[in-house]
Amino acid sequence: MKALEVKNIIKRFPGVLANDNINLSINKSEIYSIVGENGAGKSTLMKIIYGLYTPTSGEIYVFGKKVKINSSNDAIKLKIGMVHQEFMLIPRFSVTENIVLGHEPRKGMFFDRKVAVKEIKEISDRYGLKVDPLEKVENLPVGIQQRVEILKILRRGAEILIFDEPTAVLTPEEAEDLFKTLSFLRDSGKTIIFISHKLKEVMTISDRIAVLRRGELQGVVYKEKTNEKELARMMVGRDVVLEIPEALVKRGDTITSVRNLTVKNKRGIVGLKDVSFDVHSGEILGIAGVEGNGQSELIDALIGFIKPIGGSIFLSGKKVKLINPRNMRKRGMAYIPEDRKRRGLILPFKIKDNVIMGQHNKRPFSRNGILNDMAIESFAEKKVEEFDIRPRDIYTKAANLSGGTQQKVLLARELSINHNFILASQPTRGLDIGAMEFVYKMLIEEKKRGVAVLLVSLELSEIMGLADRILVLYEGVIIGETKPGETSEEELGLMMLGLKKKERVM
Amino acid sequence: MNNMSLLNSSLSQTMDYAAPILFAALGGVISENAGVVNIALEGIMRFAAFFGVWGAFVSGTPWIGLLWGIVIGIVIGSLHAYITVKWAGDQIVSGVAINVMSMGIITYLLELIFKTTGYSPPVPYFGSSVNRIHLVFLKDIPFLGAFSNLTILVWFAIILTVVMHFVLYRTVLGLRIRSVGENPHAAETLGINVAGIKWFAVIMGSIFAAFGGMALSLGTLSSFTNAMANGKGFIGLAAMIFGKWTPFGAMAASLLFASAQVIQLLLQVAASGFAKGIPLGFYLALPYILTIGALIGVVGRAVAPAADGVPYKKES
Repeated sequence: MKALEVKNIIKRFPGVLANDNINLSINKSEIYSIVGENGAGKSTLMKIIYGLYTPTSGEIYVFGKKVKINSSNDAIKLKIGMVHQEFMLIPRFSVTENIVLGHEPRKGMFFDRKVAVKEIKEISDRYGLKVDPLEKVENLPVGIQQRVEILKILRRGAEILIFDEPTAVLTPEEAEDLFKTLSFLRDSGKTIIFISHKLKEVMTISDRIAVLRRGELQGVVYKEKTNEKELARMMVGRDVVLEIPEALVKRGDTITSVRNLTVKNKRGIVGLKDVSFDVHSGEILGIAGVEGNGQSELIDALIGFIKPIGGSIFLSGKKVKLINPRNMRKRGMAYIPEDRKRRGLILPFKIKDNVIMGQHNKRPFSRNGILNDMAIESFAEKKVEEFDIRPRDIYTKAANLSGGTQQKVLLARELSINHNFILASQPTRGLDIGAMEFVYKMLIEEKKRGVAVLLVSLELSEIMGLADRILVLYEGVIIGETKPGETSEEELGLMMLGLKKKERVM
Repeated sequence: MNNMSLLNSSLSQTMDYAAPILFAALGGVISENAGVVNIALEGIMRFAAFFGVWGAFVSGTPWIGLLWGIVIGIVIGSLHAYITVKWAGDQIVSGVAINVMSMGIITYLLELIFKTTGYSPPVPYFGSSVNRIHLVFLKDIPFLGAFSNLTILVWFAIILTVVMHFVLYRTVLGLRIRSVGENPHAAETLGINVAGIKWFAVIMGSIFAAFGGMALSLGTLSSFTNAMANGKGFIGLAAMIFGKWTPFGAMAASLLFASAQVIQLLLQVAASGFAKGIPLGFYLALPYILTIGALIGVVGRAVAPAADGVPYKKES
């Protein structure tokens, strides 16, 4: 039985053909993945199915019936539910309130909280999605918040569940949990549409996979009959070298050192304890670990957002006395943050303004406090070319760029600031393969130039591929040091969970 | 006057002063819980204070005045909603415009209708002895005696606070209002009529503010003076923030600000003997100084609804 069919869907935006004659046919009780690079048209297609966009032309059939979906309300009535990439939750409301909002059980005009709580307990038991109905959503980890989202659409009777890049915000463990949930839901008769650009995940959980590229459907394949390489080729349109080329560079002098660094995070908890390491010229030092084991404390201290409560930081061989971002940067630090939207770019600003931030107060970009537009524009034009930023239009606002392009703008800015040390925190988070490849290439080039790189990442494959040495953070301390050639992902995994230690020689 | 009757009369006076502030604060509470900042409350109070007096003047009864005031509250509230909800306009700009407009229009109407500048002739009002709610049996009890001789508007402010609390935190409507103020996009995806809720909240809030204006001109006084609402709408907004956007919080804050007003009066009397040197202006400024002080103390901790003041546009 077909759960959902779309026929000849075309969606035209001014200047862009986002969906070009798409035909899909999705069976009931299957996990159907839709993959494609950022900007390939996945999200547009899903928004059409969910009633947030109206297609320029084309037809949609739900359980064999031709339908018109003009709003999310229509979609809900047709038993289509969507877990958005950015959660549609109200942090200050309880789990129960979030789930029942819009369809509240009532006693007269009053909201019947007791019945609501009971109902939530029932469905959460039925689908094995454990939640505390009375807890406020703002106090929950992201993985559980996502569970609340899933419960919300299940309670509304959704039979077709759309997941828009659901793992982008999850830790690996949370992602595992989600996959179990998805399989369970499929086995109990629900239809799952899974949007992603992470091929590994797609290969783990899908039954069938549709590949989009530049708004066009490239093909639909059974998971058993394909592999990551083929998918990547279909997605990008050429062979993609996911393997990171080895770059042998002679390790040089120590550029950055950290000694006995101890950091208290904003919640007042000591998140990083007595951490010491060196990063050398021409070396990429990888920091592995499960999220929340001290990475953000380490990064915040290194960039100067938080003053450490103990220990010291040496940049370019000199101890930094006053730790703040300005001083860190003055001493040669470039910073690639994990959250480019909040920490990296000023989204309402144009590309040209974003690429000079941080140098805006220096010549030639400004003189006596007055910006020199000519210099800024010619600089931006050069960078847009050099980093292959598309569109080439330097007046485009950062907010209107895809994730990969935003990351390129960020790299263009950071790498043009005078630096000998790069602090890269999950530099490929949320990026598609093409953009990932680009980031890797840039980091390796920097390394060859003799720059010291500290790479903090949750992706083991990334660390294994790029790093020359690996430190594993567990509960705020370095639990071990190793090298990619001397370890395996399994061993690293055990270390990350604190189940294995490795002595360090410093 | 013995001590007890001084206590009771001071408390009763405090409530009298508090009522207009509380009405404005409650207007702010409902509107901002739905995500619309309404600094036009001040102007709406002025409009209603005048229209209430006008209605009472024409009809000879404050009840008709009350009706006129409510109607003008709805009209001005709709204007604010039209600009800020329908067109997602800037809420502060719209509010400022309405406040400025109230200055000009009402001053003009005052001259046009009553041929006076400064104040209207006296009209029948809720504060007159016949119109007050007399609860004689409470009269000699400490504290409760303060409730023995209130105007209907003060009683209404008290009742409205309780009702608002139940509506906001116990009813489906309240849950939806708050959801719209916290995350209108989420509310929209759940099929909640975001624009409808915002319109409703802004207009209800404006009606409350209208009551506040009339608590001045038909409750405390029996005429309109051109200085009205004299910043009471803004103090109401301060009370709303101080009360953390909740009805009971707003009530407590309004009472605090009003008591500063009463204490100020008492101080003036008490100090006339030994502190003649202190200028009158200092006493008059006291409640406002207290307002600022209270806000400095609390504002860091007060948390507004997450989408408060953010114009909402639907995805297309």
